[in-house]
Amino acid sequence: MSLRRATAAVFRRELQLFARRKSDWANPLMFALIVCALFPFAVGSESERLRLIGIGVIFVAALLAAMLSLPRLFDEDARDGTLELLLMSPEPLAALLLARVAAISLVLGVALALLAPLFALFYALPMTVAGVLALTVAMAVPTLLLIGSIAAALLVSARGGAILTAVLVLPLTIPTLIFGAGAALRVLQGESAASELALEGAILLLALALCPPAAAAALRISTD
Amino acid sequence: MARSEQQSNERYGGRWFWRYASPSAFFAPAGRIETLCWVLAAVLAAIGLYLGFFVAPTDAQQGEAYRVIFIHVPAAWMAMVIYLAMAFWSLLGLWLGTRLSFMMSHALAPTGALMAVLSLWTGALWGRPTWGTYWVWDARLTSTLILFFLYVGYMALAAAFDDRRKGDRAAALIALVGAINVPIIYFSVKWWNTLHQGSSVRPGSSSMATIMLAAMLIMTFAFWAYSIAAAMHRLRTIIIEREGNAAWLRASVLGGKR
Amino acid sequence: MNWGSWSAFWDMGGRGLFVWGSYGALLIMVITELAALRHTRKAALRALQEDHDS
Repeated sequence: MSLRRATAAVFRRELQLFARRKSDWANPLMFALIVCALFPFAVGSESERLRLIGIGVIFVAALLAAMLSLPRLFDEDARDGTLELLLMSPEPLAALLLARVAAISLVLGVALALLAPLFALFYALPMTVAGVLALTVAMAVPTLLLIGSIAAALLVSARGGAILTAVLVLPLTIPTLIFGAGAALRVLQGESAASELALEGAILLLALALCPPAAAAALRISTD
Repeated sequence: MARSEQQSNERYGGRWFWRYASPSAFFAPAGRIETLCWVLAAVLAAIGLYLGFFVAPTDAQQGEAYRVIFIHVPAAWMAMVIYLAMAFWSLLGLWLGTRLSFMMSHALAPTGALMAVLSLWTGALWGRPTWGTYWVWDARLTSTLILFFLYVGYMALAAAFDDRRKGDRAAALIALVGAINVPIIYFSVKWWNTLHQGSSVRPGSSSMATIMLAAMLIMTFAFWAYSIAAAMHRLRTIIIEREGNAAWLRASVLGGKR
Repeated sequence: MNWGSWSAFWDMGGRGLFVWGSYGALLIMVITELAALRHTRKAALRALQEDHDS
């Protein structure tokens, strides 16, 4: 089987799993929605105040929701033996992992990006800001999933997976958070967000280049 | 070259220091380094504190509060240096597969985390009288906080595995991932700081009097010696824990008690 | 010499709380770490000894 066919098969399988088990993508989205709905109760409902915190809350909620889906990356496969097959495949493991992360990013990234403008309504943010927010969320979710795939791969065989994943992954997502939320903030202040968007994209590209090989190495370590 | 040394060179691939990549060979030297560094740390700290408190004059702008600097700056430096050392040993361990390298990483991590906490705590107590606030989201402070998170993540990950070999390599990988991220985080936080003009107070780079600088540098060397001594002690403990079955270890540790 | 009396030394020009709060934290942390080092070493040696005796 050629590399292209192998990655396509992995990609398709991931999408089929999403289609069969709706909770896999519905629950993270519900989680993001609920987090966004909680904050106004804590800080008050004045539009001015909500507008100030809105971008940050939406962005962090999207990142947390994406992080919640990290355990599904390998946990079930480790149980049912799919992981063994992936590891034995003659194709480069990094490419197969990249295909999986791409499929999850496609589903969750697009869904969260589509929801971000809706959340923006909660926080009285103008439509232009909502648009930029959707764009940066669409870039930040794959970045988080790529970084997170390293941690998830390491923790396949370890104790206390979910919470430890958060401890390991969240500090590393600070740059993508800064530029992603920063771009929306620029637009809110009526400035150009070009440089933040470029840097957010640069971080995504860097993660694309560095994370799959690291995740493959991590998987070999934890399953060996 | 002495004959035995030559033999050992041949045996260990031509470089004398490779011999010390073996826990059994490094156990005794580590003990000697430890003792030396405890003494150095105590002597240097005594000199540094004497200079810092009794010789260095009151700072014209900051009053007496600046004396916190004598431990704040060394702690901040050590937090950074120890992380780099940890990443270095992790890289070496993953690359060469040497057990001692992973042990070195494990031995360094708790002291590094302690330095990060100490740097944050003293930074807050220095910032309050100097800038009027315990905390600013300045690039240096924020990076130190994130460095602390990375230390915690490293230690938690190393502890999460029952299989020691896996834990070693997994923690080493995450140390490297962190090391690649630290500069990216630092520069993005710097960028973020210019975006949000809110925090106008930031650590100034005021020039220090020579005697103040001397006290701070001597304290830095004291911290350095302390960190090495603590790491060596922890390394020897790890060797005892892990190599418990080895005859040489039993002979050297339990020898007198038989 | 900087300080006229011990009370001036402890007062640190009115900043005693901050200065001694920092040095106190250093002292506590170093003592804690040294105690932890001792403790783990003793536990390791005990485990080795027990293993040896049995």
